[in-house]
Amino acid sequence: MKYSESKTVWIMLLLAISVNLLQSCSKDFIDVESNQETESALTSDRAPELVNAVYNSLLAWEVSSFAWTGLTSIASDDADKGSILSDTGVDKHLLDALDISPTLLSVADVWRGHFDAIQRANQALNRIEQFDDMDEELQSRLLGEAKFLRALFYFRLVQTYGGVPVITSINSLDDINEDLLTRATTEETYAFIEQDLIEAIESLPEKSEYPTSELGRATKGAAKALLAKVSMYQEKWEQVKILTNEIIASGEYGLTPNYEDIWKESSENNIESIFEIQSRGEDPAAGVDKYSTIQGARGEGGWGWGFNTPSQDLDNAYENGDTRRQATIMFAGETLYDGRVISINAPNPRYNQKAYSSALTEAEITGKNVRLLRYAEVLLMNAEAAAVIGGDVSTPLNQIRQRAGLEPTTATSQLAVWEERRLEMAFEHDRYFDLVRQGRASTVLNSKGIPFQTGKHELFPIPQEQIDLSGGVLTQNPGY
Amino acid sequence: MNFKHTFLLVVLLVTQIIWSQSTRNGVITSENGTPIPGASVTIENTARGVQTDFDGQFSIEASNGDVLVIRYLGFTEEKVTVNANQTTYNIILQEDVNQLNEVVVVGYGTQRKEVLTSSVAQIRGDELVEESVLNATQALQGKAAGVQVIASDAPGQASRVVIRGLGTVQGGRDPLYVIDGVLTDNINNINIADIESINILKDAASLAIYGNRGANGVIIVTTKKGKTGKLQVKFNTYTGVRDILRTVDMANAEQFVIYSNEAALRDLLNDNDPTNDNDFSNFLPTNQQYDTNWLDEITRIGLIRDYYLSLSGGDEKINAFFSVGFNEEEGILLNNDFNRLTVRSNVDYKITEKLNFSHKVGVQLATGSPQSFGLFTSAYKQAPIIPARLDDGTFGSSIAINNVANPLIDATNAFKREKNKFFKVQGAFQLDYEVFDDLTFTSRFSIETEYGRFYNFRNRLGRFLADNPSNTESSFEGGIENPSKTRLTITHTNTYRWFIDNYFTYKKTFFDKHNIDVTLGITAEENQSEFLSATRNNVPLDSNLNFNLNNGDQNDTQSNSGAISVTDRLYSYLARLNYNYDGKYLLGGSFRRDGSSRFQDGSQFGNFYALSTGWVVTEEDFFSDTAFDILKLRASFGQLGNQNVPFNIITATTGSGGFYAFGPNQELQQGITITGTVQEDLSWEVTEETNIGLEYTLLDYRLSGEIEVYKRVNTNAILEIELPDVIGFDPFNSAVGEVENKGIEFSLNWSDKIGEDFSYSIGGNFSFNENKISKVTNPFFNEQLGGFINNGEYTKKITVGQSLGSFFLYEVEGIDESGDFVYRDNNNNGIVDEGDRKFFDSYLPKYYTSLNLSMNYKNFDFSTDLFGSFGNQIYNGKKAQRFGNENIELSTFNNRYTSGQPSNTTPRAFNDVPISSDYYLESGDFIRVNNVTLGYTLPEKTLKYFTKMRIYASARNPLIWQRFSGFTPELPGDPLGGAGIELDAYPTLSSFYIGLNTSF
Repeated sequence: MKYSESKTVWIMLLLAISVNLLQSCSKDFIDVESNQETESALTSDRAPELVNAVYNSLLAWEVSSFAWTGLTSIASDDADKGSILSDTGVDKHLLDALDISPTLLSVADVWRGHFDAIQRANQALNRIEQFDDMDEELQSRLLGEAKFLRALFYFRLVQTYGGVPVITSINSLDDINEDLLTRATTEETYAFIEQDLIEAIESLPEKSEYPTSELGRATKGAAKALLAKVSMYQEKWEQVKILTNEIIASGEYGLTPNYEDIWKESSENNIESIFEIQSRGEDPAAGVDKYSTIQGARGEGGWGWGFNTPSQDLDNAYENGDTRRQATIMFAGETLYDGRVISINAPNPRYNQKAYSSALTEAEITGKNVRLLRYAEVLLMNAEAAAVIGGDVSTPLNQIRQRAGLEPTTATSQLAVWEERRLEMAFEHDRYFDLVRQGRASTVLNSKGIPFQTGKHELFPIPQEQIDLSGGVLTQNPGY
Repeated sequence: MNFKHTFLLVVLLVTQIIWSQSTRNGVITSENGTPIPGASVTIENTARGVQTDFDGQFSIEASNGDVLVIRYLGFTEEKVTVNANQTTYNIILQEDVNQLNEVVVVGYGTQRKEVLTSSVAQIRGDELVEESVLNATQALQGKAAGVQVIASDAPGQASRVVIRGLGTVQGGRDPLYVIDGVLTDNINNINIADIESINILKDAASLAIYGNRGANGVIIVTTKKGKTGKLQVKFNTYTGVRDILRTVDMANAEQFVIYSNEAALRDLLNDNDPTNDNDFSNFLPTNQQYDTNWLDEITRIGLIRDYYLSLSGGDEKINAFFSVGFNEEEGILLNNDFNRLTVRSNVDYKITEKLNFSHKVGVQLATGSPQSFGLFTSAYKQAPIIPARLDDGTFGSSIAINNVANPLIDATNAFKREKNKFFKVQGAFQLDYEVFDDLTFTSRFSIETEYGRFYNFRNRLGRFLADNPSNTESSFEGGIENPSKTRLTITHTNTYRWFIDNYFTYKKTFFDKHNIDVTLGITAEENQSEFLSATRNNVPLDSNLNFNLNNGDQNDTQSNSGAISVTDRLYSYLARLNYNYDGKYLLGGSFRRDGSSRFQDGSQFGNFYALSTGWVVTEEDFFSDTAFDILKLRASFGQLGNQNVPFNIITATTGSGGFYAFGPNQELQQGITITGTVQEDLSWEVTEETNIGLEYTLLDYRLSGEIEVYKRVNTNAILEIELPDVIGFDPFNSAVGEVENKGIEFSLNWSDKIGEDFSYSIGGNFSFNENKISKVTNPFFNEQLGGFINNGEYTKKITVGQSLGSFFLYEVEGIDESGDFVYRDNNNNGIVDEGDRKFFDSYLPKYYTSLNLSMNYKNFDFSTDLFGSFGNQIYNGKKAQRFGNENIELSTFNNRYTSGQPSNTTPRAFNDVPISSDYYLESGDFIRVNNVTLGYTLPEKTLKYFTKMRIYASARNPLIWQRFSGFTPELPGDPLGGAGIELDAYPTLSSFYIGLNTSF
């Protein structure tokens, strides 16, 4: 009896110890802290960083590099695919020939890249709006910057695809429904862009009102210039005129005396710059992904892949004495301003000088700032508005011509502005959409053997994979 | 009751016991008269007992009527009743021929195989030692049904083990290894000669006790203990040579030139530019000075040496085992060496009759000089017309004709130096306390820590100049100032884990026939890893200086990085109950509750369980008069977890994913954003497994085997979800899939003796497994692509209804009249596009089988193993990757289409990168002789100082029958990565050894 009594005591004791151990330790023991920053790190003091991450999207391959160059430039009459025959750049030969289908990688890349960027803008906007403990002026400015960027991304989408789903919220797996995936009309998309820009204009400071350390952020002038361009695409000429006049009158901007200098490292963010992608080449690099490499000279002595080469047609379009020809085109055999020699044996006769970065390294990310909005374009929009609804065309137009080393012109037609615009803005991701906007894409392109079909090629197709993934809620553009 | 009373009582009791007792002596021997040291002699129903000494003698106090129970592993238990006038008891133990009486190691305890209701494969250490391989995982190949081993012959490399099929896409796929109680990832640090046994747990009944880590199977390794008796010293050594088992014949210089020029001509004719059709300026001249065999240039005959010394001995109080092993290998690839030192100390202390303490500590020091296996691809592709070296000793360069680097540059370490060092300590410290006769309490603390050091020195300038004869020092790095001519990177890594296990074991028989065996316990563990890495430029070239960071530039080009992992912890409760009625009707249940720090609050705790039952038919009266000695049927079902899944937190995107430069000097400002979403309650994967088994032994225990049928379903396999792009989120993981493995396993063994001098055994096993993704419940499931072969082409895709790792390729219909591939237009849209791809079989074999034979005749022993694997496909990645002017196989040259010799199997010479098609897909079937060993044990009478001496010769992989045309059909890797694709792969080697085993 004693034996089993002590046995019971033992068991009870051991059980008591074990149960105690079980109860107290287990939960505490496995509750460990994460050692990486998670969503909870997004507090109001990180508000500027949330917006910086939206700017960071501008550096992405899909947003600014190969696919965007392909759609805006290679597809147009300004550029050829370039490079060597066997290197198609996946689908750039098809873009060059305007042989476009919904399965092209470039079409899918631009779509994805811009919606990723919009998601970041939505993260910044939705979160910063909720912060109730931050400096109101800063909060307003940051919201303005994010709205400017969101408008820029949507504008590029509506230029490329027409109306797209307009998404302003942060969504999870459970939020996905038909409404969210349905395309807005082109008009609705433009209305949304305009609203973002109007709000941005209200809350953004002028370029000169920013501290120097913040150079490169979206400004009131930038929002106005973008709104002017958005208005131009909708032929709201009154609005174009008012906005461009305001920018001209602001005194914030002017023209760079020498056209070629605009794309040099030394001219980054200069007087002519309204908005440009800030690219840092030094380690740690924060530049536009391979922008210069893709368009760099190929082959012997080259440093790039040789894509997006200026066409013979563009070369022929410059008048004698137009300094923009040498500034836009690097010719095989040419010695550049920094002493770099383009081999005479390069596989292509011409390369895009506006993408050239003088940094003599093999780095794929260079410090090349990509100029998105500059004062010259404001003048051209101002001139074009005047040409349509009346006003002074010559003053702004001849400012442009004079800087290019050309005699003033007396022409004041919209066509004259268009012709000037092509030469001034070549390789600035404008030409293809500009021709479509002007309504003469088929005339101009067909005459140069590019098979533009009216009613189809005004827009690029919605990526097929995305239509499939939406279960057919996303609809395809006509003709594809 | 006060102290005095207690004391009196004790004295009285003790006196009474002594009064009736007297000393009994005796010798325990085996049937042939050899004394058995270390046998236990106990008095039934008491805790009293002794062990026999080295001469098999014992002496014990016993009373009349006491029953002495004598036990020794491998012998049947004997019982002798003590009678008054007999003081000497000479007892002969019968050898236990009943193999099922063996004890099987299971999680947190052992079980008798006889009453086991789960599927456990046991492999004895001495079966593995025969294999003369460094890594025990490789030695497991073919040893157990249901255990697939994809072997690698690379120095220091582990083989991949898959138990009962692949059950996960995103989660960890490796089985859990348990080394003397340490739960870990691999057994690379264990010397095979130290292994007592390996037990492989295959079904839910045996795995549920490992809960959240049981889903991929568990391999339990038990190392040796000291044996009671005289000190035994063993010394083993072997040495051998290794060479590539099967090579691929390549075109020679003359053939290469013919092929390349044909391809160049084809390009000229195809480019729609008639003006260049007669431009032969880029053609290669026909009489070439060199004819290099690149594989010969970068390889050599490999050498292996292995030495092993062990000491084992003990008495009633302490048993000790010590070993030291050293293995050194010069790999077949130049400068690819590996050596490993292992030291082990396992000691058992009997502190009191009831309290035992033991420790098992193993240390490994390994050093390797790695080489990229990409050199095999370079050697395959490099043109034979390029000299390995020029007459002046400089390396030949192919820059003028192709982009393949001269593989000899890296193989000779001319411009680099690399070294890896590993130091690993693994130890378990265990207390066993016998609370009562039937109840034992075990408390164990175990640790494992591994330090890795990686040195990587590159002479970048030297390499730049060697790659291209026209490169000059001034053009290095684009001519920048102060370029990084050399670069040294040193990385230190550390991982550690510790465990505390506390559990009770209760074994008791009630009313003679009701046997229960209970285990109850709690365990806690922690894992963490960290690394630190630093780089400096312009370290001097001298080999005594180039591994010293401080010799490099001190300016801002130096860089460093480091990180520590999140603490990974588990807190678990475990329970197991086994019941059997008279060894006839068996029932088992096991349970584990795991709390894991890996998951978010609310999803941390998981319960895993299994139920099993068995029926020993031969215990029934109606079945007693048959040829069967043992016939057992068993079945089990349970749920297992796999917590080794990707972490489930929304990590903020920062750094290069968020920063942006502002200001005139482009100062970086940090950015932060969220680019993903997660399934918030994502946790471990749950595998449900059903197993039915039949064990049989018949014809006087000569024939034995098992048949098992199983189905395991990963019911919430984690797959990648890709939302529509407009949502703007990265793909993320969600538990939306189901992966199913179904299979059958057979094993059969026959062993017998013919006369006194000849004994033999023959055995084999066969496994069949069918794998597929059976269900996906979310429309946004991302059909991930994989098997990229670095030329822009992919070869694999994941989708519902297909096996994991299935190839997804274009289908070649034939060769057209111009000598080009004709691809089948599977979607009938008139063009060759993505829609024409179709699924082919997976790289996972459907069947694998092995056959082993061993014979002993007098002093000779002979053994051989065959292994076969069937039903899978292999992609010939190195052949499919070809870019222009790279070498071709001799058969490609001989069979190519030419206008004079049309071919319907091989296209004409071409330089284009081919799209991935079934033309490059080959059968993975092979049968290989894994091992042939012939040994001779010297007769004892000829030995003076030794107690045993055996010499042997052994061949590993001497023969293979394979359908694949490449170097090796065994291609480990990730299912969506390089598994089953021969590209940058290490060839299978054949090795020949001679060795010596001695003991004294």
